[in-house]
Amino acid sequence: MSELKTFLLPDLGEGLPDATVVEWFAKEGDLVRLDQPLVAMETAKAVVEVPSPCSGVLRRVGGAAGAVIITGNLLAEFELDPSLPQRAEGHDTGHHHGGAAPAAAAPATPQAEAPTAPSEDDGDGDAGTVVGAMQSSNQVRQEAAVSVGGVKAMPAVRALARKLGVDLSRVQPSGPDGAVTLADVKAAAAAPPPSQTTPPRPATTQPPVRQDVASAATRTALSASGKPMRTQPPGVGASGQPEPLKGVRRNMARVMADAHTKVVPTTLCDDADIHAWRHGNDITVRLLRAIVAACRTEPALNAWFDGDNLTRTLHPHVDVGLAVDTEDGLFVPALRNADVLDARGLREAADRLVAQVRARSLPASELAGYTISLSNFGKFAGRYATPVVVPPCVAIVAAGRGRHQLVPVPGGVETHKVIPISLTFDHRVCTGGEAARFLRALLDDLALPD
Amino acid sequence: MSVAASFEIPFLRYLEADGRLSGAALPAFARDAQALVEPYKLMTLTRSFDAKAVALQRTGKLGTYASCLGHEASHVGVGMAMRPEDVLALSYREYGAQFARGVQPREVLLYWGGDERGSDFSGPPHDFPFCVPISTQCLHAAGAALAFKLRGEARCALAMCGDGGTSKTDFYAALNSGGAFNLPLVLVVVNNQWAISVPRSAQTGAETLAQKGIAGGLHCVQVDGNDYIAVYDAVSQALQRARDGQGGSVIETITYRLSDHTTADDARRYRDEAEVKDAWQREPLIRLRHHLVGEGVWDEDKEKAWLEECARRVDEEVNAYLAVPPPPVQAMFDHLYADPPPDLLAQRAEAMAREVR
Amino acid sequence: MAAVALIEAITMALAHELEHDPSVLVLGEDVGINGGVFRATAGLAQRFGDDRVIDTPLDETTIAGLSVGLAAQGMRPVAESQFDGFVYPMLDHLICHAARLRTRTRGRMTCPLVLRVPWGGGIRAPEHHSEANETMFTNVPGLRVVMPSSPHRAYGMLLAAIRDPDPVIFFEPKRIYRQYKEEVADDGEALPLDVCYVLREGRDITLVSWGAQIKETLEAADALAKEGVEAEVIDVATLRPLDFDTIRESVAKTGRCVIVHEAVRSGGFGGEIAARLAEHSMFDLKAPVLRVTGYDTHIPLFRLEMKFLPDLARILDAARRTLAYD
Repeated sequence: MSELKTFLLPDLGEGLPDATVVEWFAKEGDLVRLDQPLVAMETAKAVVEVPSPCSGVLRRVGGAAGAVIITGNLLAEFELDPSLPQRAEGHDTGHHHGGAAPAAAAPATPQAEAPTAPSEDDGDGDAGTVVGAMQSSNQVRQEAAVSVGGVKAMPAVRALARKLGVDLSRVQPSGPDGAVTLADVKAAAAAPPPSQTTPPRPATTQPPVRQDVASAATRTALSASGKPMRTQPPGVGASGQPEPLKGVRRNMARVMADAHTKVVPTTLCDDADIHAWRHGNDITVRLLRAIVAACRTEPALNAWFDGDNLTRTLHPHVDVGLAVDTEDGLFVPALRNADVLDARGLREAADRLVAQVRARSLPASELAGYTISLSNFGKFAGRYATPVVVPPCVAIVAAGRGRHQLVPVPGGVETHKVIPISLTFDHRVCTGGEAARFLRALLDDLALPD
Repeated sequence: MSVAASFEIPFLRYLEADGRLSGAALPAFARDAQALVEPYKLMTLTRSFDAKAVALQRTGKLGTYASCLGHEASHVGVGMAMRPEDVLALSYREYGAQFARGVQPREVLLYWGGDERGSDFSGPPHDFPFCVPISTQCLHAAGAALAFKLRGEARCALAMCGDGGTSKTDFYAALNSGGAFNLPLVLVVVNNQWAISVPRSAQTGAETLAQKGIAGGLHCVQVDGNDYIAVYDAVSQALQRARDGQGGSVIETITYRLSDHTTADDARRYRDEAEVKDAWQREPLIRLRHHLVGEGVWDEDKEKAWLEECARRVDEEVNAYLAVPPPPVQAMFDHLYADPPPDLLAQRAEAMAREVR
Repeated sequence: MAAVALIEAITMALAHELEHDPSVLVLGEDVGINGGVFRATAGLAQRFGDDRVIDTPLDETTIAGLSVGLAAQGMRPVAESQFDGFVYPMLDHLICHAARLRTRTRGRMTCPLVLRVPWGGGIRAPEHHSEANETMFTNVPGLRVVMPSSPHRAYGMLLAAIRDPDPVIFFEPKRIYRQYKEEVADDGEALPLDVCYVLREGRDITLVSWGAQIKETLEAADALAKEGVEAEVIDVATLRPLDFDTIRESVAKTGRCVIVHEAVRSGGFGGEIAARLAEHSMFDLKAPVLRVTGYDTHIPLFRLEMKFLPDLARILDAARRTLAYD
């Protein structure tokens, strides 16, 4: 019994899904030789002559003239004649050049392409390869902007920021969905914000863009005729220029407003008597240690509260958010594992965080995730405060300016140094009793000699 | 049988080896002998410089140096015929052409003295620096000529190479480009008969080197390269032709390398002293001097005085060269990129730091 | 704004510069009326004339040498080597002259040329049409070596290359010439050279690649994401000068690095990156740096070609091997 060979309609070189039979050059029952013209097929662009893939008797055609045959479906069936030359079953070379299809079309076996890959030459028209075969597709892809540390930008924008030495977190985004654009980066590079810290920038940068108060020499309070001077003509509002907030300052505005709408703050104030301190005590280290001691005594203030789901998470560790003041605004890096570090470890950690903030080299992830906060504003002025609790935290400790005061003691009066302490807690989740116990433990630890 | 193409290569000479007129009518510029005094003086100065440079190398004050002894007419003739706005793309030996265009001898010494600052030379800033890869300058000249043509500028590009250089791919590529684009390009082949140790006869089967230009469709002429007048005449005609948009030329100047290839070469290993001695009979300075003396514009006193002046000037240039301190280590890093990348700057800092120790 | 394939973005960039800068010209074999064998210069000769888009005689030495001369005399030639495998005769002019003119003359003379080279394998082409030979140039001081991996970057980086005052070798990964389209605004906005492009952020592993392999590398990142591994994908984009800082910062974050390139392994540019990581990131690395590359053979003819080129499976194998280190 002779072998039957099925000839499936090959991809005629233009990635089209089907072709129409124009004319058969042989009829069923005819003996056809290898490469002899078999059938003319019409594709969208041309009429292609398909040669016979084998030598044999044509047993069945896949459709009469006018029929549409889908690529990969039966075109013809042969009974092979073993006495005549046949073609070896090679693989498809995969060469499909754009433009006029050649008379010798692809061989019988359709190529096995990975189903997800775009088909050869399903792009339009002239793919222009004088050699080779190129994958071609009209599929449109778009790269996405990615959000990192709260800053959204396309890869090209990040690359430009790196090239120009621009810190993306300090750039005002103007693109869709709050993404930073190339133009934003270029603008930031051209007019850098006021210089932050050491080392000083080289002379080529422009002076800081800042609203300076007009020097007194150019402005007088009285006019030439002795009448009080307006600072602006009537109808003109501000004399300064509104400046959009950027970076941390912008962030702070949003975060504080958000905290205000959610937290129910209550503040307890007291003084820590540090009269007993031996020489060499570091105020920051002592405050941190005191907070750890207070958290151990009253864990309710070392917690996170989810006001939407009404869940509270007590933390087994103490990570203290350390408020660091800079010209650009407030940064609160997390001092991790404060409950495990010794005095030297606490000092080193605090120093390192401050240095990293100044250098702006802290990753965004380290500006979050602390369990309780500390704000030591006492460097300049202020006694007691109502510091702000920022969710998900429930408590914040603030220390004001140390001072000496007269303290009555049995037998007389002494002069003691004290540090004013303010503790704000979120009354949605902490009780006054918990806060008071916390404060007591804090003050007791601070009172210790070292 | 009909003839598809044929060619002739004209040969130009006005002064015989001994300075007598060869019989051809002198070109206009040469009729007033006084006008030839300046080029003669420059040729003499070049030779004085050259001798001094060799001496400097032999006394350890200069690196390997390529002498131009015997080539003075070919080199100075080219330099004098070019206009300042033209571009010269030379190999590494044509000091006479450079001096004619304003380069200072101390700059040539700096180059051979191992200092890149020698290539940032005086004279036209658009001239190419010394080019070691043989004949690549011919293609650069072609590119320059293409720029002039595209911009509609009345400028020419002239490349100089040697007999060995005509075997190189770039030479053929340049003459082909010159013809294909009809460029204002002049290729001057200074045939000094030797490519280091390989004689001219071994370089090619072509009867003349000039005729290689026929293959590119260029005008081709051969001249006696030791005859200043012939060289100047051929080059200036070729430049004018190019400027008029009538295409490029190949000019082969026949001369002789009276020195070794460079100070690192010993020509006695491969050529006959007798041949060299014979070539001295035809050297360029004698014949022009005899012509000038015969025309009454030069004499022994003037010669003596000029040689003294040459010695003085060359000494001044040598002293200036010797006084140049070595470049700082960071010079290696500077001028690599207009915008140096950070890791290069880091290496620069590292190199500078090592200097301080 | 049009959606264009990588090759069309190249045409757009060339057209933009030809229009806005009279010193720019395009030269190469068949770049004129034929529009280039890949159609990179399609329509340009018709639009700008044959004295701006020039068909040269058939000789790569000529193209390179003319370009040096043109660039040294104030033009900005954008030359084409028809295929990567034909670039070798150009090395003389590129390495001996283009890379050196500025330093040779202390800045008196410069060479702002661009050489465009269709690069790399995977299109079933005959011999010498599939070379990944970037290392011929990555070791040459004074050159820039640049390779875009998307239509947008091709447009922006070619503009930057043409405007660069120094010579740039611009490799175009031909396998992805028409692979997909992207919206690219023809606004003349150049993208920066000398920096890496971070295409995907991730914490767990850094995948570094360039050229056509960016396609498979991104696919690997997607596959890893399904396994809960977030890969950071870095497109080096400019090989010389290398922006190593981006790679170093990424590896400091992830601790793991796999480098993917189709060029031959030994002496490949992945070795340079791996050496720098060994020097600077020793204590950030949690696993050895692995390279997924072409083998140390010539790229075979097309019947075996796809087995030579790094594929998704080989990239994932290497990624998983690095992740297995604890």
